[in-house]
Amino acid sequence: MSDYFHVRDIHKDFSGMKVLTGVDFKVRKNERHAVIGPNGAGKTTLFNIMSGDLKPSSGIILYKGKDVSGKPPHILNRSGLSRSFQITNVFQQLSVFDNILSGVRSRYGLRYHFFKRPDRDHHLIEKVEALVAEVGLTDVKDQPASSLSYGQQRALEIGVTLSTEPELILLDEPTAGMTHEETVQAIKLIDKVTSGRTLIIIEHDMDVVFSLADTISVLYHGTILVSDSPEKVSNDNRVKDAYLGEG
Amino acid sequence: MKKQGNIFICMSGLILAGALMPVILSQYHLYILTEIIIFSLFAVSYNLLLGYAGLLSFGHALFFGLSGFATALAIIHFPGLTLLSTVLIGLAASIIAGFVIGALLLRHKGSYFALLTLAFSALFYAVAVKWYSVTGGDNGLNIVRPDLNLGFASISVSGLAHFYYLTLIVVGATIIFCWYFTQTAMGKTVLLMRDNEKRMQFLGYNTNFARLILFTFTGALAGLAGSFYALHFEFVSHMAVSINMTTVVLLMTFVGGTKKFWGPILGVFVYIIFQNYLSDLTDRWALIMGFIFVFMVLFVPGGLSEVIVKIQQRLFGKRNDNGVKYIASEEGNL
Ligand SMILES: Nc1ncnc2c1ncn2[C@@H]1O[C@H](COP(=O)(O)OP(=O)(O)O)[C@@H](O)[C@H]1O
Ligand SMILES: [Mg+2]
Repeated sequence: MSDYFHVRDIHKDFSGMKVLTGVDFKVRKNERHAVIGPNGAGKTTLFNIMSGDLKPSSGIILYKGKDVSGKPPHILNRSGLSRSFQITNVFQQLSVFDNILSGVRSRYGLRYHFFKRPDRDHHLIEKVEALVAEVGLTDVKDQPASSLSYGQQRALEIGVTLSTEPELILLDEPTAGMTHEETVQAIKLIDKVTSGRTLIIIEHDMDVVFSLADTISVLYHGTILVSDSPEKVSNDNRVKDAYLGEG
Repeated sequence: MKKQGNIFICMSGLILAGALMPVILSQYHLYILTEIIIFSLFAVSYNLLLGYAGLLSFGHALFFGLSGFATALAIIHFPGLTLLSTVLIGLAASIIAGFVIGALLLRHKGSYFALLTLAFSALFYAVAVKWYSVTGGDNGLNIVRPDLNLGFASISVSGLAHFYYLTLIVVGATIIFCWYFTQTAMGKTVLLMRDNEKRMQFLGYNTNFARLILFTFTGALAGLAGSFYALHFEFVSHMAVSINMTTVVLLMTFVGGTKKFWGPILGVFVYIIFQNYLSDLTDRWALIMGFIFVFMVLFVPGGLSEVIVKIQQRLFGKRNDNGVKYIASEEGNL
């Protein structure tokens, strides 16, 4: 299935400022795909388009054979795509448990029900407990998100992203602001909790990227320089010149 | 679990007290109590918009008055109808209006939303004033409460005690349902949308749809209150759809506090009792109420319910580092 997720010639400009100038790459099912590129290259903008937050100026996105560009986030989420945010974006006033519950109940269709109480549904509670444990937050599950440490907040961000049981997961710099050691730990967690699913991740730590990813796409000046296996990418002269050479 | 038990005891106590009121209170006070129950539903519905969803509406009286008019017109033009049918007609009118207006307002939030609700409110008010042949213009519509038909028996509710019981049962049960609603999937969804609407969208929630449903629901609740208002006073006029009426419910809600479910109910109690007391003393009662409101907003923005919660915390030493919990947090609701 080479056409599981296919970004085709995506352009985006913000009132004249060209941020993406023809982005092309493919993601296979169950692949771990890393998107790298310098700050301001347009990685988050690309994620915003892929997750339905922004409409592309032109170009299409094929997901499971259908053009989904311009579809709103809730529709994309229901078709199995879920994303995280570079800046933690959870429900700060809610407990860890309720943060996760908000996605789990959505996954099982309990969004607008006028009579059912999600917190009384044993099936949902079990699912939430399991996911809270998976991201290592069981000890703090009743604490409000706002009281968590930075690392715990990042873990919760991933937990919330996984809470709708997505098959395609987009993580935007999940390790932003972490030391190298913390990053290695976080990536281990991510590798574990996303196993058996498709992962597209934006990540800065090169060691981590090269150990995790099956495929790396390098975004530079609004377009993909190269999208290939880690070995090929690290030996690519254009990449060396444009990006790796700096660091 | 223990909390659940407490709520049960509280509820039972309230129901018992409610049942005894016609024996205890004078006719005059029973009349006021009935008004308080009706306005409690109105204020609770307003707070579901304001406190829970974070939507400031200046058009809430529109549904209240529209439903009051629909009920009154049904009574006048279809004399055979039973009381509950006339209430249902009012309810249907407010649901349709809520859905249509909600659909038009859907994408607007904040001050645009507030201004648009104000515009709709002004429109309905103008119609109520000008369309004399239907609404009675400045004279309003006088009605007589029809009988309550339960299928097996027809009960007259022309007497105050009977009507009080009917109000207590129907409106009281609706208020209790509103509390329950805040615990349901939809109730929680509304709260989470206020907290972080964007994330809700990325978790599969259609937030525009949820807002429309909530808007229609609160419109229907206000409509039910409006029907009972018309039945209680056996009168309805353009006052019921006016900006003035929205201001009243806004004041009641603010005085009681938006952060607790029961805040607006407390606000209604204080407002109506104060108003009756003051209007006996002076013609300038509206001015005094205005001053009280200004004082409250400036110095007690959380309303009376916040004051009570703070006193409670002092007395029982229940330390809570965040101060008063917001309704978004799990336990703050009752
Ligand atoms: N909503 C927006 N409006 C205007 N400019 C934007 C917007 N979002 C991003 N940009 C600009 O697009 C460029 C790429 O940003 P971004 O996608 O966040 O890059 P990256 O995630 O690769 O660091 C930046 O110059 C940024 O200022
Ligand atoms: Mg970014």
